[in-house]
Amino acid sequence: MFWFAAAHRHPRLCISANRPAILSQIPAINQTLYFHGRIYPLPLSLANPPTLRISQSQGLRATSNKNGDMDDEMDDLINKYGEVVYRSKDQKPHAAEVDDDAESLSLAVTLAKVANEVKAADIRVLFVKPLVYWTRFFIIATAFSRPQIDAIGTRIRDIAEKQFKRVARGDTKPNSWTLLDFGDVVVHIFLPQQREFYNLEEFYGNATLIELPFNTESTSFRE
Amino acid sequence: MIQPQTQLNVADNSGARKLMCIRIIGASNRRYAHIGDVIVAVIKEAIPNTPLERSEVIRAVIVRTCKELKRDNGMIIRYDDNAAVVIDQEGNPKGTRIFGAIARELRQLNFTKIVSLAPEVL
Repeated sequence: MFWFAAAHRHPRLCISANRPAILSQIPAINQTLYFHGRIYPLPLSLANPPTLRISQSQGLRATSNKNGDMDDEMDDLINKYGEVVYRSKDQKPHAAEVDDDAESLSLAVTLAKVANEVKAADIRVLFVKPLVYWTRFFIIATAFSRPQIDAIGTRIRDIAEKQFKRVARGDTKPNSWTLLDFGDVVVHIFLPQQREFYNLEEFYGNATLIELPFNTESTSFRE
Repeated sequence: MIQPQTQLNVADNSGARKLMCIRIIGASNRRYAHIGDVIVAVIKEAIPNTPLERSEVIRAVIVRTCKELKRDNGMIIRYDDNAAVVIDQEGNPKGTRIFGAIARELRQLNFTKIVSLAPEVL
């Protein structure tokens, strides 16, 4: 019964930490413990896990000491197993992550090429995933007039929809700072003045610059 | 829960310091604004020698509220202050940097520009 009392204090932690394998095999017991909050008789194998066994003959004083020890043991077990119990759900396998990165990279490079075709200047592709969690790549480009911004925006949207089946959120009208949000890739098209004003490259100065297969300097012929 | 007459801090470097909400953009008789809503506000206090001045009427996006923001997954976010970011009619921020943490809901509401200038997104 002493053990039950301790288990009642940390029903979730102590059970899952001690015998994760057994619990997953007996879902009914699992639910009883988690949802009702009260502890009902358990199978012997569960009720007396080897690390937490206390003999019934011990006196009350000894028990209180043991409780302290047990808490330490619980902590150790949680440190050892707790993370494992929680990790399984939302983590992607490493390979999938790399695949996603590769897909976003190809999208980003394609969009940068498209922008280059429509004579956007000074195109930079930044890998910002290590800095912010909400996106992977930034494309920063300069256009010299609103019609040009419109042209770049429309072209990028078309290509993204045709080749990658992605629809952009963000600005629909040409704006002095037009932003197209494809989820993994965010495209910023600035007028030269705004680009200097907001200075996004400096803000994301620690991001890795992606090498582009074309020469962006040659396109800034109007400067 | 921002309503007309609520005073807000400014979370950017536009030069305004304190705003007072005078209208909530949206429905005709809307009572309260929350994170991601646009309000019309008047500048109550400004830093000298900046483009924005006291008693100027501007638009702003609310980025932090003392009232809890609830997410579908059960997470609740509550900030210490009510804060807003000054924007122009096109939706571009007037400042170049945002201060403090902001919520990711702003991205869903098409304020990705503000999100991309922010140092921390919750």
